[in-house]
Amino acid sequence: MILSCKDIHKSFGGIKAIQGCSFTVKKNKITAIIGPNGSGKTTMFNVISKLIDPDSGTIEFDGQDVTSLKDYELSKLGISRTFQDVKLFQNLTIREHLQIALSDSDERLLSNLFRTKDVESEKIQEVMEIVGLDKPLETYATDLSYGQRKLLDLAIGIAKPHSLLMLDEPVAGVNPRLRDSIKNILRELNNRGESILLIEHDMNFVMDLVDHIFVMDAGKVIAEGSPEEIQNDPYVLAAYLGNCGDEEEIECWT
Amino acid sequence: MIISAYQTHIFILIFIYIILAVSLNLALGYTGLLNLGHVAFFGIGAYTSALLAIEGLPYIAAVIIAGLFASVFGYLLVKATDKLKGDYMAMATLGFSFVVYSLLLNLRDITRGAMGIPGIPKPSILGLTIRTNDQYLIFVMAVCAISVFIMYRMVNSPFGKLLEANRDNAVNLRVLGKNTFALKYKAMMTSAFFAGVSGSLYAHYITFIDPTSFYIAELILILTIVIVGGLASIKGSIVATIVIIYVPEMLKMLELPASVLGPVRQALYAMILIAILMIRPRGIFGKVDLE
Amino acid sequence: MKNEIKTSLGGKTIALLAQSIINGLITGSIYALVASGYSLIYSTNNFMHFAHGISVVAAGYMVYWLFSLVGIPFYVTCIITVILSAIFGLAMYRLIYLPLQKKGASNVILLIASIGILTFFQNVIQIAFGSGVKLVGYIEVSKGITFAGVTMTLLQIVILIISLIIFILLYQFMQKTKTGRNMRAVSNNSELASIVGINHIRISDISFLIGSALAGVAGILVALEQNLSPFMGTNLMIKGFTGAVIGGINYVPGSIVGSFLLGMAENLGILVLPSGYKDAIAFSMLFLFLLFKPNGILGKKEGRFDK
Repeated sequence: MILSCKDIHKSFGGIKAIQGCSFTVKKNKITAIIGPNGSGKTTMFNVISKLIDPDSGTIEFDGQDVTSLKDYELSKLGISRTFQDVKLFQNLTIREHLQIALSDSDERLLSNLFRTKDVESEKIQEVMEIVGLDKPLETYATDLSYGQRKLLDLAIGIAKPHSLLMLDEPVAGVNPRLRDSIKNILRELNNRGESILLIEHDMNFVMDLVDHIFVMDAGKVIAEGSPEEIQNDPYVLAAYLGNCGDEEEIECWT
Repeated sequence: MIISAYQTHIFILIFIYIILAVSLNLALGYTGLLNLGHVAFFGIGAYTSALLAIEGLPYIAAVIIAGLFASVFGYLLVKATDKLKGDYMAMATLGFSFVVYSLLLNLRDITRGAMGIPGIPKPSILGLTIRTNDQYLIFVMAVCAISVFIMYRMVNSPFGKLLEANRDNAVNLRVLGKNTFALKYKAMMTSAFFAGVSGSLYAHYITFIDPTSFYIAELILILTIVIVGGLASIKGSIVATIVIIYVPEMLKMLELPASVLGPVRQALYAMILIAILMIRPRGIFGKVDLE
Repeated sequence: MKNEIKTSLGGKTIALLAQSIINGLITGSIYALVASGYSLIYSTNNFMHFAHGISVVAAGYMVYWLFSLVGIPFYVTCIITVILSAIFGLAMYRLIYLPLQKKGASNVILLIASIGILTFFQNVIQIAFGSGVKLVGYIEVSKGITFAGVTMTLLQIVILIISLIIFILLYQFMQKTKTGRNMRAVSNNSELASIVGINHIRISDISFLIGSALAGVAGILVALEQNLSPFMGTNLMIKGFTGAVIGGINYVPGSIVGSFLLGMAENLGILVLPSGYKDAIAFSMLFLFLLFKPNGILGKKEGRFDK
């Protein structure tokens, strides 16, 4: 077990976004969180990566209580995450992005003063090959297409030293070919022993890839199990369909 | 000397302002800290150095303490304004420069208030006293070269890339495990240090300072320089300092009375600032927008 | 303040406090006139119009020019000044801010531009009128009315009454007229307001017109009460802004209350501090409120903080 959330609560103003959410993520497995829009998936991600403080509940990472840690401290312990709306550094190049992700010494001002880089180029190259991003390293983030930014974001997540990789909708808005290649990348990473937690709406992608699924609705987990179990759980289907007014959403469940 | 006494004077000011402008760009342009209190660091440096030198401290010690003292304020300012967003951070830092200005005016036992501090000694380094303006020019040129070189190295180092990353997207940077608060205060402390150093150079050159030299007019000047030159461009700040300080000197040819010349120059700076914001907000060499 | 505080006898602490509070009310009423216009503009436009201070000073010099130099009757001068102030404010919006906004400028750029405008016109005034102080002197300042140990001049009473009348009119306008209600709607939720068909630019025009007219009134009173100098705009603006921040920058009644509190804090503060610290008190309050209570004591709770 690498991550465990117990009874997390979080409200914004009067809105209860998370109401007693608990789940655990096993090591070396791919775990997915699914559920309708507004069910609190991304909020849970933000709570786990400590961008948001929970009102109550505990988060354990690698056997350690991390509930009171700051976002960057937790990240240093070994959590990598990506965002649903890809957030890059507009004025930096691909190389600089990966350098920041890979480096553990760039926060020191004086010892870096006379260096231009502190990361081996091979390491950067290696990550580029894993994700298959075929672009010159000196390309600025603003000059990348949506799909390429999605890949760079994934590359940053992989490059940053971590023991848990959290991906918020890794294939949202990408074309089917890129979706399949991302699926292969994640499968390959998992074969190497990576633990992955992802949020995804694309059910074909999820059912095909993951080992374990948690279904969230209205801020808590309403069901869990293997892809087969979830697909055949009438309660889940009912709860989901009952809450989902969006037609596209329904389609991806059928 | 090859250049006239007047030219020497202008060049000395240009080198002092290059340090001031590049150091502001480090905070404002590279790190994305919306600091309108930079002129306060300049003033803190000038007063600290002047008062210590008058007390008999060697110049080297005075200028370094001036820089360090300014950077302590830099740390406190980041600590205080860290959570404020956009224009509120700008207003709070502007408020900081008002507070410093009114303290310089009112701590009369220390600063002599509006009367200012006359008779600031010329620097003396390793037994060599700088007597003429030509010597002072060489001295400020050297200090300027060292300061700009350090800041240039800093922004081009892996650390400097983190500063730019912080400006572009601080949340993403924290998720990558970087302590953005520490980055910000390190950048602001460096920025304030060099502002303090340039304040010291200014005080010991003019030999008289009073609080009005460190207020809105001065703030407009350095903001104009940094924005005209372009955010996150050291080259831009250097070029813009030369242009912005030098060009209004041509007003001298209009032979305006001295009492009008000052306000005409100030009005011109303000006009340039508004014009650049309206026509080309990224400045001459800038890469990024002020958000 | 021109009042002589008589402290020759002991045991006059209460009179001294009362005098300070009265002085604070009078100072505060001028701050409040500056702040209310500023807040009105902020609440509907959501950016900091720091150049508001120059509208006040320009109005003061307008009175000096038209009344003291040209010799136009005082009340006519006042009417012209208020009208011109309103047009001046509208011109700043239409010629500088609106074009900047159309180019997608951030609030910080608008703030820097407004500091530029303030500096520009301060220097223009200095070029036109010189740096020496100017006195309008329409109402005698020296005559004081003493009641229960508290002295007020006729002029101060006039200032207090005029500002109270203006605030009541402003409140009535905001509450009772359709335009006033639209302005409040924009200030509460500009997106929703534009969905229901309120023209944002028209509301901004009106807020600049009214806000700057208020600055014009403030300028007239300042011209009557103080010596005019070209660079007083910065200081007046900081005071008005501080008052607005204390009370709640996006809420006009709040900024009026905040300004009166500031006036009193300054005048009570110098009972224990040297009088030179008046500005330091205000600047420190500004800084502290921005840091710890940026929404002010009555302001609406909006996110002023980052996350």
